[in-house]
Amino acid sequence: MDKNDTNDLIIAFQRGDRSAFEKIILEYQDRIYNLCLYMLGNKHDAEDAAQDTFIKAYQGLNDFKPEATLYTWLYRIAMNTCIDQKRRPFFESIFRRSVTGEEMVIDLPSESPSPEKDYESGQIQVALQQALKKLSPKLRAVIVLKELEGLSYEEMATTLDVSIGTIKSRISRARDELKILLKDFTEQN
Amino acid sequence: MNCSKTDKLISPYIDGELKAEAKEAFEAHMKACYACSMAVEQVRKQHNLFAQAKQYKVPYGFSTRVMANVSAERTGWFSLTPLFARFAGAIVLLMIISIGMISGGFLSGSLMQTKMVSMTSALSLDLFDPMPPDSLGGAYFAMTEVKDEK
Repeated sequence: MDKNDTNDLIIAFQRGDRSAFEKIILEYQDRIYNLCLYMLGNKHDAEDAAQDTFIKAYQGLNDFKPEATLYTWLYRIAMNTCIDQKRRPFFESIFRRSVTGEEMVIDLPSESPSPEKDYESGQIQVALQQALKKLSPKLRAVIVLKELEGLSYEEMATTLDVSIGTIKSRISRARDELKILLKDFTEQN
Repeated sequence: MNCSKTDKLISPYIDGELKAEAKEAFEAHMKACYACSMAVEQVRKQHNLFAQAKQYKVPYGFSTRVMANVSAERTGWFSLTPLFARFAGAIVLLMIISIGMISGGFLSGSLMQTKMVSMTSALSLDLFDPMPPDSLGGAYFAMTEVKDEK
């Protein structure tokens, strides 16, 4: 979907066509869910955060200005939602974890040509998730937006509402920390 | 370009954020400096690892659930009511409850007073006629009174 199509959907929504919003969800749901999953580290919280993101977007879309990009706006809502979710009261997080307790699990159908490759990619996945978990939310956010979502520094700055200089310094710090956390894998490859 | 300046440019270089001129200078330094080129290689490997990260898909029925949630929010009377109206409603409700409590207090107070009076009078011996004239005691009393007069 290009920018014009997205703008048409936004205009349709602002004129009262609620079905346009469902098309927006279908377009962005995987990206938002993926971002929430890597930010929060478990499926249940990620789905909750992704749902909250779209509900907040629904409530705010009438005031959305077309000069901004919809996906950076959605990413910004998703990031704030994930950070808020991390700040949940202690008792609530304990309760939720005891009920769901489900950490991120690799359950996609295998696309690897061999079981060895499959095992290796599973190991990499686990290592990446564990490394991300050890980063602070600010550093994790820049890595997720850059490495997993492929945003430019400018888009990241807009999403996180900071300067490009801050993005540069955070990404550099995050990579320095990841250098140690992913040492075993970067040395192998 | 020296090593300390290059170190700050490694990430922008890997991410394709360097302008042509800076990129050229950076690459020239890489050819001359083994340590810096190794540092770049390290970040590139890290970047390649992330390129292998799985892209997860949202659970089945996600959009339907979101639409159901937004519809529920939209049709809920509470969400449709503006904030000031909710506040005013709460104040009116409080006032009604307070008036009810106060008037209830008054009513029950005056009723209690009447009840107390009737109860006190019921228990009082003032109204009690110890010897009604047409009773047996009354007749006896009358007889003894006449006898005494004689």
